Amino acid sequence: MRPLQPPLTFTQNLESYRSLLVRCLKGSFSYKSTTINNLLTTLVAYAITIMIWHQVYQQNPNHVIPSTQMYVYLLLAGAVNYAMSLGMEFRIGQRIRTGLIATDLLKPIDFQMAQAIQSISDGLFNGALSFVVFSLGFFLFGTQMLPSSPSAFLLFLVSFVLGFTVIYGIGFVFVQGAFYTYSGYGIFAARNALQFTFSGFSAPLDYYPPLLRTITDYLPFRHTIYTPVAIYMGWVTGPAAYLLLLQQLGWTVGLFLVGKFLMGRALKQLEVQGG
Amino acid sequence: MENALHVENLAKSYKRSMRHPGLLGAFKGLFSSKTQEFQAVKGISFSINRGERVGLIGENGAGKSTTLKMLTGIIAPTSGKLEVLGLLPWKQRRELALNIGVVFGQRPQLLWDIPVRETFRLLKAMYRIPSDVYEVTYKEAVRRLDLEPLLGTPVRLLSLGQRMRCDLAASLLHAPAIAFLDEPTIGLDLTVKEQVREYIRDMQDKFGVTLLITTHDLKDITEVCDRLLLLDKGTLLFDGSLKAFEKKFANESRIVADLERPATASALRKLSAEMKKHGGIVTGGEGHKLIVSYRKEGSAPVLTQILLKRQKVADLTLEKTDIETIVTRIYRKKPGKN
Ligand SMILES: Nc1ncnc2c1ncn2[C@@H]1O[C@H](COP(=O)(O)OP(=O)(O)O)[C@@H](O)[C@H]1O
Ligand SMILES: [Mg+2]
Repeated sequence: MRPLQPPLTFTQNLESYRSLLVRCLKGSFSYKSTTINNLLTTLVAYAITIMIWHQVYQQNPNHVIPSTQMYVYLLLAGAVNYAMSLGMEFRIGQRIRTGLIATDLLKPIDFQMAQAIQSISDGLFNGALSFVVFSLGFFLFGTQMLPSSPSAFLLFLVSFVLGFTVIYGIGFVFVQGAFYTYSGYGIFAARNALQFTFSGFSAPLDYYPPLLRTITDYLPFRHTIYTPVAIYMGWVTGPAAYLLLLQQLGWTVGLFLVGKFLMGRALKQLEVQGG
Repeated sequence: MENALHVENLAKSYKRSMRHPGLLGAFKGLFSSKTQEFQAVKGISFSINRGERVGLIGENGAGKSTTLKMLTGIIAPTSGKLEVLGLLPWKQRRELALNIGVVFGQRPQLLWDIPVRETFRLLKAMYRIPSDVYEVTYKEAVRRLDLEPLLGTPVRLLSLGQRMRCDLAASLLHAPAIAFLDEPTIGLDLTVKEQVREYIRDMQDKFGVTLLITTHDLKDITEVCDRLLLLDKGTLLFDGSLKAFEKKFANESRIVADLERPATASALRKLSAEMKKHGGIVTGGEGHKLIVSYRKEGSAPVLTQILLKRQKVADLTLEKTDIETIVTRIYRKKPGKN
């Protein structure tokens, strides 16, 4: 008889996380055609967006932001958004609906952490692919795609990582809804719509009407795209940039805690489906 | 004996939302949430010691899976006491998870998109399985369940039976203190079922794994378990050894005879009367076949003699009722099945 195993220590857990990350990454490579499909659709979508804005600039050249800056912004926002696209709602929603969630809950690893690992895997995989989007910009606009300064680039890297932890936090909070609705589709659509509207994905926030702009200030979404891209482009520098990083960190911690709390409540009422 | 798990008046009711019929009804359902309570498990009590091998049976919907879900900690009970390895499952699910192995019939824990081998490696890290244990459990699983040709295949390409074997192996890789196996042989062909039973028995021998198995194939029970729990619509109908179960319910044996010529009606009447005096009941009498059933042990010689004297018998067999027959009879007796 094996003796009973005591709870795992922190370092033992790290080993599980590392091992899980490797498997998640390997899993990412098993849907080549979906991946290529996504990437091509995305590229076409950005090309069209830029053509639309090009039209706008031709009719009225006196915008707040010069045209090339606008295009560069959009492509950077697109690349960042691509890197941050998580399939969490679909994945978890489906597992709840089919009852497969039971096998996740029966692992000796924390569910929230396991989802974080899966998201990091998604981020690394999609992040690598987002270079393709970035390269499109480089091909079109050359050195104008480069960061405004080396320090801006360093700050961007930090802000990008924090943006990622924010989007993960948002996703995990939204996912809790799936424990009640037993489906992830509606939840994904809702999160995606908010993300689309309030992150600065479709246009720099400076373009937003005042009311909308104020709303974005109170939501975490802008920290996923607008904040890192604005830092990259040198629109925000020095103390103002540091303040943004701090806000990102605050949202990350806050969302993580809210997610943890909601998860605890959701699990209490969960009725794992199927016999 | 060390206690593995203990359950007292354990009950679970589900809330079912009442659905209005039709499309309009489905739309209404979005706004009104009338729910109805349904008692799936109605206050059951039992204890299992470390190293015991227990089979949990019952008809579809009897509450077997619900019981296992509560014991493993993935759902909270509505009321009652519950302790597994000294832990409160739904509150200490993760601590418990390290020490149990679970198979949920059609719900594999294997990672879907990558080869089986990868899941095994992940589990080794996750459960921190020492190399000497892993050596044994891994090799044993591969050998007993013929996994070698499957290890490199992505799970989604495996057939049901192949996946079930891999899943069972995955759940026992860490030689857990308790294995909860919910229909581990569902959908398997006979030879594979046999392999699976041998493997489970073997793991039990080697590591003293406490077994709680639900199944619809009673051979799983008779060949692997020595104790039986019978659930019926959420209540525990029987708890005891297989022997005790047979004693309690299998009080009927039969003599089945193949007659050379069908018996005439009058001969049959006379035979029935004489059999009755010695505790035998003639049941089947159509054509060449004749069945005499009796309850008192040791009646076979007398009843057989009477039969041989009265009829020309071509062939004769004695049947003791096996567990399968008993269980079928218990299920069939009850009115209002769902
Ligand atoms: N999530 C659920 N919501 C409502 N009813 C459920 C749920 N899960 C199971 N039931 C019901 O509870 C009863 C027992 O189910 P289960 O434990 O799966 O039975 P078994 O495994 O013995 O076939 C069944 O009548 C089933 O319909
Ligand atoms: Mg079941």
